[in-house]
Amino acid sequence: MSSILYFFKQSIQGFARNLSTTLGSIITIFLSLFIIGLFLVGATVVDNIVKSVENEVSITAYVADSASQADLDAVQAYIAGLDGVSSVSFTTKDEALEEFKAMSSNADIVDELGGNPLPASINVELSDPQKVEEVAGKIQTSDLFAKVADEENPADSLKYGQRTVERLFQVTNYLRYGGLVLIALLVFIALVFINNTIRLAIMARRKEIAIMRLVGASNGFIRGPFLMEGALHAIIGAALAIGCIELIRRIALPKLQASLAFLPIQVEMNVFLAIYLALLVAGLIIGLIGSAFAMRRYLKV
Amino acid sequence: MTEATNQGARSADLSMALPVLQAEDIPQQGAPVISFDRVSKVYPAQPNRPALDNVSLQIYPGEFVFLVGHSGSGKSTLVRLIIRELRPTSGTITIANEDLGSMRNWRVPYLRRNIGCVFQDFKLLPNKTVFENVAFALEVIGKSRSIVRTQVPEVLRLVGLQDKLDKLPDQLSGGEAQRVSIARAIVNRPPLLVCDEPTGNLDPQTSRGIMDLLERINRTGTTVLVATHDREMVDNMRRRVIALERGHLTRDQQRGVYGSDV
Repeated sequence: MSSILYFFKQSIQGFARNLSTTLGSIITIFLSLFIIGLFLVGATVVDNIVKSVENEVSITAYVADSASQADLDAVQAYIAGLDGVSSVSFTTKDEALEEFKAMSSNADIVDELGGNPLPASINVELSDPQKVEEVAGKIQTSDLFAKVADEENPADSLKYGQRTVERLFQVTNYLRYGGLVLIALLVFIALVFINNTIRLAIMARRKEIAIMRLVGASNGFIRGPFLMEGALHAIIGAALAIGCIELIRRIALPKLQASLAFLPIQVEMNVFLAIYLALLVAGLIIGLIGSAFAMRRYLKV
Repeated sequence: MTEATNQGARSADLSMALPVLQAEDIPQQGAPVISFDRVSKVYPAQPNRPALDNVSLQIYPGEFVFLVGHSGSGKSTLVRLIIRELRPTSGTITIANEDLGSMRNWRVPYLRRNIGCVFQDFKLLPNKTVFENVAFALEVIGKSRSIVRTQVPEVLRLVGLQDKLDKLPDQLSGGEAQRVSIARAIVNRPPLLVCDEPTGNLDPQTSRGIMDLLERINRTGTTVLVATHDREMVDNMRRRVIALERGHLTRDQQRGVYGSDV
């Protein structure tokens, strides 16, 4: 217990007496973590946008006017039971017509047609949009659907924007993997940077370490203050980074959202908390491991 | 310059002419503190020229021993072997009945707590005061604050620096700095004090003060080993002299002099 107090006292002293190297390593940790945090926030925003676009993907299955209610119920139950489907709804012929009228600029066209040419449809919302092909395939090949679909061409009665969906998912997947690779790269760069600054800070004090060894300090005792200092730098650097990101969340993001109202930019607080925690833990781990590694060569007996 | 050299040579001749006294003030008894048994050390950079070649010697408790020799004769290597900063290529070194060859790495700090070390360049921490520098040696081996507060002023009084507790090392003269480093070496009362060129940076007057201090420490029962090439000092004090030349032990003499052979 007394030695922990001693380590703490020493690390505070080391802090004040090596102010320039201390500031150097704190700023390095701060900037590295800040940039990583920014990218994490950016990645979640992009992911949100991608998700909202992907969620637009749904399957519309047009059914024949002659389909019986029993068959329709059976098909809906079957589809609702499929993996990756979140909800199934039914649009009657009349509803389809209402919708068309609402969307169309000259609703009079419909009246001139006489009767209702629009088919009823089953709308399938997906919980996992990436599975759209799979779900569509299952619906298409099922006997139940064959019964309610237009007899001439069942394949044509299923609409989910095949080509567009394929391209969309290609792009969103590239975005996701690209983001992951970028963040991994950033973490690596930060690791190298932080490790280097800590190495320099410890190298500047190798004389002190040599003297500690000379008077018979055990390796654990020598390591203590340095590790604690490394941890302290990491915590301060991480706190600064978290503070800056929090400022961005409070000030910059709402403005961005206001000017880009059509995109869902706002990220949940939970995500931010997770990012903050990750930054703190990553900083601590890098600080501690970096210090331990840098010390190793000076502690060889 | 020439005069000084002549004087040195003359006094060396004179002391060589004196009979070597075999009388022993300190009986060499008990287990030796330091024991070298056919120790050789070869640095990888110079495989054909061993730094120490087949050196055997014993140093007993309470002795005051000078280790003399030119630069590169192996003095510093011997000192670094004693504190196990280096390991011998062959042979065994025993310090206080403990074989350094089989000593585990984690035991080394405990060995060093029993050996006070003084170096030519003082090795003081520049950003700590005199008091803190000495206290450091106690703190890092986990001594309590009350022990630090009583023992540090006491040892600084012993070396005559009781007024300089709050000075920083660069506010001290060379002699004072060396006293601080001696105080740091003896503050936890090690049975063995090893000095590598303690007066190498100091003028003769100050050197004498340092040697007096080492002698006083020796009188309290501490074994003292001083590696030096300070001819005048060795000749004045007439203590046991071990001479090294190119890694060979050439002379081991009670009440010896620096001599002309080294």
